[in-house]
Amino acid sequence: MTGKENPSPMTVPAAAPPVHSDTAAKWFILSSIAYFFIVGIIAVTIAAKFVWPELLGTIPAFSYGRLRPLHVNGMLFGWLLAADMGLVYYIVPRLCGVRLWSEKLGVATAVLWNVIILGAVVSLLAGWNQGWEYAELPMPLDVLVVVAWIMFGANIFATIASRKYAQMYVTLWYIMGTILWTAFVYLTGNFAVLFTTGVNQANLNWMYVHNAVGLIFTPVGLALAYYFIPKAGEVPLHSHKLSMIGFWSLAFVYVWTGAHHMIHGPISQWLQTIAIVFSVMLLIPVWTVVYNFIATMKGQWPQMRDNVPLKFLMSGVVFYLLTCFQGPMHSLRSVNAIVSKTDWIPGHAHMAVLGAFSFFAIAGVYYVIPRMFRRGLSSEPMATWSYWLMMVGGLGFFVTLWLGGFWQGWQWNNPSIPFIDTVVALKPVWTVRFFSGVLIFLGIVLFAYNIMATAVGASEKRTGAAAAV
Amino acid sequence: MFGKTDVSAPLFVVAALVCFLIGGLMTTVVPPLVDASWSRPFKNDDPSKGPTGVLRPYTEIELKGRAIYVREGCWYCHTQQTRTILADTVRSGWRGVNAPISTPDEFVYDSPHLFGTKRTGPDLSHVGGKYDVQWHRTHFRNPRDLVPGSVMPPFPWIANNEPEFQALVAYIQTLGRAKDWRPDHDYEQ
Repeated sequence: MTGKENPSPMTVPAAAPPVHSDTAAKWFILSSIAYFFIVGIIAVTIAAKFVWPELLGTIPAFSYGRLRPLHVNGMLFGWLLAADMGLVYYIVPRLCGVRLWSEKLGVATAVLWNVIILGAVVSLLAGWNQGWEYAELPMPLDVLVVVAWIMFGANIFATIASRKYAQMYVTLWYIMGTILWTAFVYLTGNFAVLFTTGVNQANLNWMYVHNAVGLIFTPVGLALAYYFIPKAGEVPLHSHKLSMIGFWSLAFVYVWTGAHHMIHGPISQWLQTIAIVFSVMLLIPVWTVVYNFIATMKGQWPQMRDNVPLKFLMSGVVFYLLTCFQGPMHSLRSVNAIVSKTDWIPGHAHMAVLGAFSFFAIAGVYYVIPRMFRRGLSSEPMATWSYWLMMVGGLGFFVTLWLGGFWQGWQWNNPSIPFIDTVVALKPVWTVRFFSGVLIFLGIVLFAYNIMATAVGASEKRTGAAAAV
Repeated sequence: MFGKTDVSAPLFVVAALVCFLIGGLMTTVVPPLVDASWSRPFKNDDPSKGPTGVLRPYTEIELKGRAIYVREGCWYCHTQQTRTILADTVRSGWRGVNAPISTPDEFVYDSPHLFGTKRTGPDLSHVGGKYDVQWHRTHFRNPRDLVPGSVMPPFPWIANNEPEFQALVAYIQTLGRAKDWRPDHDYEQ
């Protein structure tokens, strides 16, 4: 060690001339954080309903069956995808060495996105639910999503087309892949299903559900990790070649696996087997990517002590490794017979979407907000607290559901145990899950407050400076 | 080919789409062409080939009930598939008779499909005819009155709305009845 102290990644080098206005990024990120908080309340509410089934039980709009899709869609599209899009608006111009092609188009996209999310809240509470998982939103909103995605994609591709550096960093590949694949995956899950019924429709639905995670949130999440791990740690990426293997194997393998949601179900056995084989092959892209991140951190681990973005990033990497080890294992027929349809699955899904991809996005937000608003983060200790609350709450959530779900699966496989007994047995598990959820929510509150305080403080400072002139 | 994709965006786009579309087409467009049973309604007159019966389209009132099932999100907690797992056939069974496993040809009139992913409550693929109207009315009003320990939400706005309640029960009574698998036909009432 040279004795030089690394400055915290959340303080900003003063007086760098503003090159990027980042208006679109700010709109997307701040609104996504508002939804993170609001939908967090819904998340805690539905966890509470498992413990107290009568809670809000006589109000149709607040029944479990209507709040659950709002929780899922709100977190996926209101928080995570919007935060990812905001961070993409920040990253792409910087990696290309040019300004965003059109800030105005970006802001218009953000406004449209907010219209979609507010429309989703109204329609889901009213019970206007199409009945497909992750594709619950009614048709007019689906059309608006497509329009917004085209606006987003056009802006990003036009920026990349005008780039100053010929070589595209791996983050840009993942972002372009996300934009292209999402288009097809979304059209399949929301429009192609209309022309089918029964098992054929379920197959398209699972192709969409699986790839919403695998070809939307995974590539854009990895794009963030590939950008922010080297940035927050101030260390070069370990291997360009490995990142290439990881990317192209993901591009080829992921889409084949949708039918693993129907293992043992009423769908052709040969299709189940294909899905299983490709699910296991997913270990290739996952392990190459994770090895690349871990090797990048070689000699840099002491930074984890007080670098909050790195804490979130590297914990996210570990959760990504774990969740993508579980996935292929679940697809094996023998394991699937125990864990499928149990509470294990929400434990797995939350580790992917919260533990891995939301952690990447949170790290990115903590990193970019001080840079966009040109002001140090409102409170660094609060940021550390948000990490530990989400980490402890998250682990409590994942681990209890795995244990509970595994136990539940064994009970189901013994048909001499009446079904209701397997419900009653899970009650302690759901109680622990509720309190873990409260911890996660407190972490979200601290995160949201910290970011908003930084943003508002920045605008106060600007107004103050303007008033002084 | 892949070596040049990190300096040429058009080449990248082509490669990324080709990689994706191979698997995409193989797993979505091809399977229903290969497996005719995905779109042929169940019909069997020969007892030596398993349960006899025929899958009939939903009536108007059943479709209305199905829409309520979708609206209230019943499918988030109840699956509709008896899987190729022995315990599933026992749990979906009735009075000591195991239910047949669910096959694609039983679902060709289903849109949206309601196979489900999570079993917080029991599977409903063969629930049709097991419980009468009065049981369902009490159960929807407050599930814990009939099943102590249940975590199912109460649905008073359905139990107290006669047309909606009748429609929902009419739909539930259709579940699993394409195949004639039960020893006594008590579900007729």
